[in-house]
Amino acid sequence: MHIDALGELYQDPLARAGAIMLVIIAGLAIFAPLISGYSPHDYTGKIFSPPDIDHPLGTDSVGQDIWARLLFGARTSLLVALSVALISSSLSVIVGASAALAGGLYESFCMRIIDAMISLPTIIVMILVASYLRPSLPLLILLISLFSWPGGARIIRSQVLSLKQRMHINAARTFGAGKGHIIFTHIIPDLSPIICALMMQDARRAVFMEAGLAFLGISDPTVISWGKMMNQALAFTYLDVWQWWLVPIGLALSATLIGISFLSFSLETAMDPRLRREESMGAARLT
Amino acid sequence: MNTSNKYGLRDGPPVRASDALVNEAHPELGIASKLLGIFPSSLANYLIALTAIFSINFILPRLMPGDPLQAIYGQEALVVMSDEVEAQIIRQFSLDKSWWDQMLAYVLGLLQGDLGFSYYYREQVFHVILGALPWTLLLTGLALVLATAIGLVLGIESGYARGSNLDRSLVAGLMFLGGFPDFFIGILLLLIFAVSLQVLPISGAASPYAGHEGLAHIVDVLKHLALPLSSMILVRLGGIFLLTRNTIVTLLGESFILTARAKGCQERRIKYAHAGRNGLLPVATATGLRIPQLFTGALFIEIVFSYPGVGSLLNTAIDARDYPLIQGILLIVTLTVLTANFLVDLLYSRLDPRVRYAH
Repeated sequence: MHIDALGELYQDPLARAGAIMLVIIAGLAIFAPLISGYSPHDYTGKIFSPPDIDHPLGTDSVGQDIWARLLFGARTSLLVALSVALISSSLSVIVGASAALAGGLYESFCMRIIDAMISLPTIIVMILVASYLRPSLPLLILLISLFSWPGGARIIRSQVLSLKQRMHINAARTFGAGKGHIIFTHIIPDLSPIICALMMQDARRAVFMEAGLAFLGISDPTVISWGKMMNQALAFTYLDVWQWWLVPIGLALSATLIGISFLSFSLETAMDPRLRREESMGAARLT
Repeated sequence: MNTSNKYGLRDGPPVRASDALVNEAHPELGIASKLLGIFPSSLANYLIALTAIFSINFILPRLMPGDPLQAIYGQEALVVMSDEVEAQIIRQFSLDKSWWDQMLAYVLGLLQGDLGFSYYYREQVFHVILGALPWTLLLTGLALVLATAIGLVLGIESGYARGSNLDRSLVAGLMFLGGFPDFFIGILLLLIFAVSLQVLPISGAASPYAGHEGLAHIVDVLKHLALPLSSMILVRLGGIFLLTRNTIVTLLGESFILTARAKGCQERRIKYAHAGRNGLLPVATATGLRIPQLFTGALFIEIVFSYPGVGSLLNTAIDARDYPLIQGILLIVTLTVLTANFLVDLLYSRLDPRVRYAH
C-alpha cells in the first residue's frame, strides 16, 4: 500500500510543467525590485502609455508602471497562497485527526460543524465578513484559512479512520507502541501525500479568493493585488489599454492557478491506485 | 462507504481525493433524519448552516466598534437619514434594548420577510433582490444543466476511448481551461466577442428601450446571455468532464460491463446505459457540492458583463456600503444554495437506490 506519491511527481510531465510555471512566477516575485526599473507606487509622468523599452507593459490610468505592479502583485498572491495553505491544512489535520482518534461525542460534534460549513457558500460569507472588517492582508489570510479547512478535515478524518485499522498499525500496537508513537511514526508520515494535496487545493483557493475579493473591491488599499488591478482595468475596455493591462495580469493570475492545479492533479492521480493503471496517459496530458 | 459495505456491494466510485468526502456518508444518522425518514440526513446540516448565517448576520454588525446603528446601516446612510427615520429604525431593531430583545426583533422581522431597507435603492431589500434574482437563476440554471450535460457526454466518450487522441486532447484542453478563474474567462470572451469582433452585446441582459416584443425579445435576451453563459459553462465543464471520465475508466473494468459485452449489447448501450448510468452517481454528488461555487462564479461573471443579477447588485452594494443589502443578498443566496443542495440530495436518493434503502 505504500506508494511514494510525492516521489512520482518528479516523473510526471504534468507536475513538472506546473512546477516550472510556479518556479518562474516565484522567481519573478522574489526578484521583483531587480527586474523592474520602477517602484509599483511611483507616478511615472505618463498615463496610458503603450508598451515601450522603458515600460514593458506600458502605464495605467494613474501613470504607474504596469510591469512593476504585475511583479509586486505576484508577491501578494504567493504570500497569501503559502500562508493560507499552511494555516488551513494545519487546522484540517488538527481537527480531522483528533476527531478520528478521539471519537465519541467530540467526533460527532466536529463532523456536524464541518458538514454545516461545507454546505455554506463560503465565498459569499467571506464577502460579507470582509466588507464589514475591511481586512488588512494578515487578517485576510486568517479569514480565508478559517473558511477553507473543513473539506480537508473531513478527508483527513476518513484517512486516519482507515489508517487506524491497517495491519502495520495493529502490529505496532501489539508490540506495545503508545498513542503518541503511533501518531508520529506511522499515521503522520502516511498522511503526508494527502496533506500536500490539501495544501495545494488550499493554496489555489486562496489565490483565487484574494484576487476575487480584490476584484470585488474588498482589499487592503496599500496592497498591490492582481484582482484589484483587473477591476481597475475593466473600466477601460473601450481603449486599447486592455491589451497590455488587463490581459497580461489575467494571464499571470491564470498561470499561477493552472500551475497549482497541474501539480495537485498529478499528485491526486499518483495517490489513486485505480487511476495508476493508465501510465500511458501521463505523457499525453501535457500536450 | 458504510451503505455499500452494509449490503456487501462494491464501493461507490469516488475517484479523486476531493471526491472522497462524497463517498463517505454519515456514520451517525441525525435525530432529525430519523424523525423525517424520507429526507436526506443532510437536512440537519442545512439547518445548522442556516442558523450560522442568521447568527453571522445578527452578530457581525453588533460586534463592530461604535454605534450598532452605524454598523448596520453604514456611515454614509446615517448622513442622509433624518432623526425621525433614525428613531424608527432604533425602535424597529430594539437597538436601545438588550441583546436578547434585539435578537427577538431580528428573528420576528425575518419571519415576516423583512430584510431591512436599502438606503441606496430607497426600497425594501427583499424587493430589490427579488428583482435581480430571476436573472441569476436563469444564468446559473442554464449553466448547470448545459455544463453537466456536455460534461457527461464528453466524459463518457473520452473515458470509453481512453488513451485515444480524442481523450488526450479533451483531458488536456479542458483541464487547462478549468484552471482559469471564472471572471478572467468572462473577460477574455468579452474582449474577443464584444470588444474586438463586436458581434455580441457588451453588457446588460436586454437592450434598453428597444421595445422588442415576443420572439425578438427572446432572441435579444439570449444574445445578451450568450457570453456570460458560455464563460460559466467553459469553467465548469472541466470538473464534470474529468470526474465522469475517471469514473467511466474505473467502471470499464467491472464485471457488469463484461457481461453486457458478452450478451452482445450495442456499443452505445454499454456506453450510456451501463457505464454512463453508473457514472451519474458521483457526478450528481459533485454537482451538489459545487452549487455554492456555481453561484459565486455567477456573481463574478455578472459583474464582468454588468448582467443585472444578484452579483451586480452585490457589487453595487459593496461600493455603496449598503450593508442591509449585502446581508440580504447573503441570506437569499444561502437559502437558494441550501435549497438546491437539498434537491440534489433528494435526486441522489432517486438515482442510487442503495442510498434510499440505507435509511
